[in-house]
Amino acid sequence: MLLLWQSTAPLMAESSLQQTKVTGHVLDVKGDPMIGVNVLEKGTTNGVLTDADGAFALTVASSNSIIVFSFIGYESQEVVVGNQTSLNITLKEATTGLNEVVVIGYGTAKKKDVTGSVASINGATMRDVPAANITQALQGRISGVDMSQTNTKPGATMQIRIRGVRSLNASNDPLIVIDGIPFSGNISDISPSSIKSIDILKDASSTAIYGSRGSNGVIMITTNKGYVGQKAQVTYNGYAGLKSLFARYPMMSGPEFVKLRAYANNNGIAGSKTYANTLDESDDVNTDWQKLLYKTGFVTNHDLGLTGGTQQGSYSFGIGYYREEAIVPLQDFTRYMIRSSLDQQIGKRIRIGFTTNTNYSVSNGNNLGAVYTALDHSPIANIYNTDGTLKARYQQQTSGQQWVSTRKTLEALGDKYIDQTRTLGTYNSLYGELQIPGIEGLKYRLNLGLDYRQANGGNYTGVGVFSGTPSNNSVASINDAITTHWTAENLLTYDRNFAEKHHVNVVGMYSAERTLYNYSQVSVKDLPSDAFQFYNLGQATGDKTINPNYQNYQVSGLLSYMGRVMYSYDGRYMISAALRSDGSSRLAPGHKWHTYPAVSAGWNISEESFMKGISQIDQLKLRVGYGETSNQAVDPYKTLGLLNTRPYNFGSSYSQGLYVSELPNPVMGWEYSETYNIGVDFSLFKSRLTGTIEYYQMYTHDVLLQLSLPATSGVSSYWANIGKTENKGVELTLSGTILDNYNGWTWEAGINIYANRNKLVELASGSKKDEGNYWFVDHPIDCIYDFKKIGIWQEGEQYLTDYEPGGNAGMIKVKYTGTYDTNGKPTRAIADADKQILSMEPDFLGGFNTRVGYKGIDLSIVGTFKKGGLVNSTIYGANGYLNNLNTRSGNNVKVDYWTPDNTGAKYPRPNGLGGDNPKYGSTLGYFDASYLKIRTISLGYDFSNMGFVKNAGISRMRFYATVQNPFVFFSPYKKESGMDPETNSYGNENAAVPLPGTLKRLLTIGTNTPTTRNYLIGLELTF
Amino acid sequence: MKRKFIKPVIGTAMALLLFASCTDILDEKPRAVYTPEFFKTKDGVMGGLTAEYATMRRMWGDAYFYSNGLTGTDEATWAASGGQGNFKIMDISGNGIITPSACDAGGVWSNSFPAINTASGIIENATEVGTIDASLIAEARFFRAFYYFYLVQNFGGVPLDFGSGELKFNISPVRTSVRNTVPEVYTKAIFPDLLIAVNDLPATGRLTGALTKTAARLYLSKAYLTYAWWLKNPNNIPTYPVCDRVDPDGHDAAWYFQQAYDIATAAIADPGNFGLCDTYYDVNVATNDRNKEMVLYADRTQSSAYWNDADLGYASGGGADNFAAWMMTCNYTSMTSSKTSWAAPTKCNSVQREAEQHLGRPWTRMAPPIEVFTNTFADKVNDSRYDGTFTTVYRGNWNKAGIANAYLYNANDMQIKQGDAVLTFLDDEPATPLTYMTGAADKSAVGAAEVPGRADWVIAPSGISRVIYPGGGYKIGTYRTDNGTGLGQPNGSITRPFPVAKFSELYFIAAEAAVEGATTVAGKTAYDLINVIRGRAGKWRFNNNGNVIKLEDNSQAMKDATPATITLEYLLAERSREYFGEGVRWYDLVRTQTWGTIAHTYSICGTGIGDHTPAVVTRLIDNHHYLRPIPQTQMDALQMTAEEKAAYQNPGY
Repeated sequence: MLLLWQSTAPLMAESSLQQTKVTGHVLDVKGDPMIGVNVLEKGTTNGVLTDADGAFALTVASSNSIIVFSFIGYESQEVVVGNQTSLNITLKEATTGLNEVVVIGYGTAKKKDVTGSVASINGATMRDVPAANITQALQGRISGVDMSQTNTKPGATMQIRIRGVRSLNASNDPLIVIDGIPFSGNISDISPSSIKSIDILKDASSTAIYGSRGSNGVIMITTNKGYVGQKAQVTYNGYAGLKSLFARYPMMSGPEFVKLRAYANNNGIAGSKTYANTLDESDDVNTDWQKLLYKTGFVTNHDLGLTGGTQQGSYSFGIGYYREEAIVPLQDFTRYMIRSSLDQQIGKRIRIGFTTNTNYSVSNGNNLGAVYTALDHSPIANIYNTDGTLKARYQQQTSGQQWVSTRKTLEALGDKYIDQTRTLGTYNSLYGELQIPGIEGLKYRLNLGLDYRQANGGNYTGVGVFSGTPSNNSVASINDAITTHWTAENLLTYDRNFAEKHHVNVVGMYSAERTLYNYSQVSVKDLPSDAFQFYNLGQATGDKTINPNYQNYQVSGLLSYMGRVMYSYDGRYMISAALRSDGSSRLAPGHKWHTYPAVSAGWNISEESFMKGISQIDQLKLRVGYGETSNQAVDPYKTLGLLNTRPYNFGSSYSQGLYVSELPNPVMGWEYSETYNIGVDFSLFKSRLTGTIEYYQMYTHDVLLQLSLPATSGVSSYWANIGKTENKGVELTLSGTILDNYNGWTWEAGINIYANRNKLVELASGSKKDEGNYWFVDHPIDCIYDFKKIGIWQEGEQYLTDYEPGGNAGMIKVKYTGTYDTNGKPTRAIADADKQILSMEPDFLGGFNTRVGYKGIDLSIVGTFKKGGLVNSTIYGANGYLNNLNTRSGNNVKVDYWTPDNTGAKYPRPNGLGGDNPKYGSTLGYFDASYLKIRTISLGYDFSNMGFVKNAGISRMRFYATVQNPFVFFSPYKKESGMDPETNSYGNENAAVPLPGTLKRLLTIGTNTPTTRNYLIGLELTF
Repeated sequence: MKRKFIKPVIGTAMALLLFASCTDILDEKPRAVYTPEFFKTKDGVMGGLTAEYATMRRMWGDAYFYSNGLTGTDEATWAASGGQGNFKIMDISGNGIITPSACDAGGVWSNSFPAINTASGIIENATEVGTIDASLIAEARFFRAFYYFYLVQNFGGVPLDFGSGELKFNISPVRTSVRNTVPEVYTKAIFPDLLIAVNDLPATGRLTGALTKTAARLYLSKAYLTYAWWLKNPNNIPTYPVCDRVDPDGHDAAWYFQQAYDIATAAIADPGNFGLCDTYYDVNVATNDRNKEMVLYADRTQSSAYWNDADLGYASGGGADNFAAWMMTCNYTSMTSSKTSWAAPTKCNSVQREAEQHLGRPWTRMAPPIEVFTNTFADKVNDSRYDGTFTTVYRGNWNKAGIANAYLYNANDMQIKQGDAVLTFLDDEPATPLTYMTGAADKSAVGAAEVPGRADWVIAPSGISRVIYPGGGYKIGTYRTDNGTGLGQPNGSITRPFPVAKFSELYFIAAEAAVEGATTVAGKTAYDLINVIRGRAGKWRFNNNGNVIKLEDNSQAMKDATPATITLEYLLAERSREYFGEGVRWYDLVRTQTWGTIAHTYSICGTGIGDHTPAVVTRLIDNHHYLRPIPQTQMDALQMTAEEKAAYQNPGY
């Protein structure tokens, strides 16, 4: 937009006696001519654009005139004409700093003019971390944007939280906008290689223009495109590497387990259980199930792109291939991608273009439970027959027959097992733009987005596969998820400079969008031949089921009106005001619409005359903003209530039962947030040090919540606007050039650090707690409600059996909150009332990056860190059933357990009080979540300046070697377990008895595919 | 040329724009789920009725509902792996205390109220639909009373008004609650609904397992009996919410005992298709499921995991799973025999998990105390019920597990073949105390003994422990017809119907009412009624643990052993013989206020393999235990003050 107003600035030939005609060329750093560069006589509207050869001719008023050369994405240059008549200018690409152009939603702006909170990263910087998707690449890179790992399987994406969580049940995921069109697909469908830059809108004054969809922040992705007049350019980016185990899960070896079982069986506690070896177990066996499972993984990525421009248009085209094989057998992910875009000026007033991005991916083995099996199985199991072959099954204590799960047996399954998802996603946007004749600066633009995504899954498990029962039925299922989505946006923009110092930009928009989601699933039993797998379920001889709970249909629509005015005066004062009104199909009739305002203002202090003398300060800007956003993110139909099904059989006659499980809510409306943001951007010492400091407060009202009703109401729940939440935080981003070509050395470093304080302010009608959902007023949304372990009971400690009736020395000691009698004896036993609210919120978190260059060599390091908070490891906690400390079934986590001779141990006495797990066993899973992780170290060498490269017509050639996840420091969890301290699962996954679905949000470290340390080599090539 | 191309694009765009401007985009039409509107149609009402039946599956067959009715009584205590699911706590023997968040009665509360509300919805909507037969509405009335009956027995008085008025279908999100008193629940809800149900229900169910007049009479008589005891209150057990033991309808305990007797005997006289099976074995053998004695059951099916609403391959134990039988099944699969002589043994597991009624999946959560074998089932010769209740002989099934040996070496190095006894729990204490094997010398791996001349390992009644005990899950145990020649699917949810009420209980109800003073009719005194049951118990057609046909009629010997005067204690012992391990004992003892005395002490050996030293355990049953705590989930969901909540909770919790 900026480009357009500049390019349409009228040419006015002012007459002057001392007019000077200046001609010349504008080139980029590679020496290529730049087309369409704005050449303007400063302080006037007198200007021209460079032509296809980069040439220009401009007549200026006098030799005192200053000519400004500017081009979007490049650093502007100002030249005093003097007595020159010919000028050859080289423009440098803008890398960082306040002149950078950022995408702000329905337009772009120079960073220095932005009044909201927008963080940006360019594609090249992001690709310092070679990654399958942008979430991995962006982790730790942007202040206030927390990427949490929820899965470690190939191709997995992370959970993105911008400035904390607001909603309780609704999604807290940000909106992703690609090239101006809201994106309806999965983040894994976007190849990082296709990205030119990413801009993240964090505060409501920036996101308000996206209305309800932007309430959790907006990630604006700009893909690579050519530009007008660009010479055709081919780029290739590729890397390949090996993945090795970062750390094994800390399970006991055979001898350690033997020792534990012996102790557990003979510990002298009354009522303790005995678990003898089964016939397949022997004290002299040491089976390392993990070693038998893992293999070396592999990852590779290749992207080939072509960009170029014509006299009035530009194009780009790219193809990509990504493949990742996990270190767990049969798990892999492959993605093929093709994209293209075209922009074309037609005549003087019309401009059209499209972007299309299509990809197809295949993932295998996502549901393979082999990791849990490897941890859970007995380390003293003898799994070999006398002839050295593997047994098919072996007997384990209490859990009975187990299938022998190793790399060898898994890889030998062949047709007997498949679990595959094939996904086709195609995301397309078209636009047409018309400059309206007669009114200067007025434009109409139509954006159309058309997306289609289909995920087609199938799985088959043969007879007895993975089962202790050899005759276990074969099962197969297929599923199909289709999402179609269209968006139509009608925009009127008016953009003009008045009287030189006044710049006005007005946008009006009317838009509509609709998403349809349809999911079907069929499952069958008893396929007569393994060859059928899931390809012909009709051949099944057993039960064929179309479970109504696994079918889904959802349509939702959104209508919006938006208006925004941005005004700036003299580059010093900026103000922006927006108003948006959204109507959502998901909410109740009469409550579907919500209108919200946003205002923000900026002051470029450094532009003031009183600052001119301070040479150390290049830029200093103050921004303040206030805005509202809202959230419609309940599933469709939630205002209507729900009948649940309850199937039943009367003998052999089947009948479907129905009952009211959710009540309708005819008054359910919008959840909305108010955000206040204040920020300072600065650039010091000739841009050697730049940074941003921000503070924000966010209040979310009428939170949409599925509220559990007491059983005595006869209905289990309903959806309503209940509750309030609050987020407050500070963010700091600094980047500096420490050495700027000092004897050929350059050294850049950046750090971002941020803290968010989240709080639940109000629950339903005065309630202070919702224990089932772990929601407590005045506490963060993410917290654990459990006993607090304060140690281990020791022999002879007073009042042990008063606190713990039937308890014994060596059991977990938890905090008591009751009263005491005059002797100091507790007046009651430990009870539910002693449970504590344990916040999981970190004190602060962030990331850093540094880059050292010397001649063609560059070394870069990217890291992330987190201080404080809790992480819940279900490996150690009771939910995982891996730390039973009684040897009741398979293996146990290697822990230092209490015995009368080892009273200082952290973990309780084996086989003490408790059922399958030690009493209060869940408390064993809580660890301090702090860590500092080096995500990548890359060493590269740029051959671009070498003769043979140049002679070959190659403008850039760089080789690099990268190691990912090399080190983790300062992590109490790693110290104890050796493992990666990052979470790898949702709360309701990857544990023997996971948390209920309602606590999915509490991410855990569970039995997922282990984190790997990867070694990559790559090549970047441009010609 | 270019302009020609542009026009259609813009034209299409405009068309889309017009379409978009239509506010249709904000309308909703669900196509994959039912909304409450559907409940107002005839099909919706019928779906509601099915849900009433399906809710039974969440209770009958659920292990925790089962434990709630058994653990802590004379029939069951906790077993070695029984810390989980509160089994130790429910035993009230000093290993933890019953609290609102640790009590297995929670499922009664959470399942019953939605079922009651649905029943009220059916009654209201069916009337509006207008074309729904009275007999169908009577099913809803039965279930409303039925679920209220279980609530009032567990918790005392419970709410009649869910938010829209007493016994009205509630669709408002109410977060407060007021409890009615016990007599209000009986006289306003249970009795009126059951009286209509008795009147309107058909003699023969409309579908297999659907409700009948007999079912309604059984529950009405039982409700009268229970309420009569409540009015009588012989041991002064407190009620809650506090109220006078005065019947709002002006009757007394004697009147209700008489009603119970009259209704129960009327049901016996007019049985419809129901009746007693010829032998006790026939009542419970899986091949005879859904027999004429089963008045009500929570049905299951092996033919469809979906309609069974539970996993048929490997169930986790929850939801609608039928897994109660696993609780009182010990880990028998540990026991060993040898493929070669014990001089140089090659051990193998000779009895493995099998989808078979005697075996099934072991969870070792609950165990029967020794007195069950020495007192309750003292007569193991004439009375077929001991043999028809327990798995006392574990027979080899190694061939089905793929061990090809024709013979294995077992006790005394004697050979056994597939199907022979590997382990036997002796009927009686041997004259010479057994010497149990221990440690490395324990060839059986379950701490059993060798007796000269016997090929099977043996354990005496006094050696029954929390880790090795006769299988109490036989009657409700696993049975599948898809095992082929192997062990089948022992780990799946059990696919048999779970009994809720049996025709035989009518005899007990009438007899109990008679013992408590009801006037009897000729031929139906308490003695007569009990002797019908005892006489049938004397009839044998199969020796279950001997695995051999046994045609014997010991009816007369059984009747001869019946005391002339039936006391309450005798009747309750007889009830235990008839219904042992079916999850009803706690209700019987609570109703008759005998729990604290009958279940006061028990003996059993410890949790270690090889521990055969019985210990006497004393339970700490207090009067407040006669009511279960209101579950914590309910307390948490209530929007009431701390004082109101305290008043809502049953005293003592």
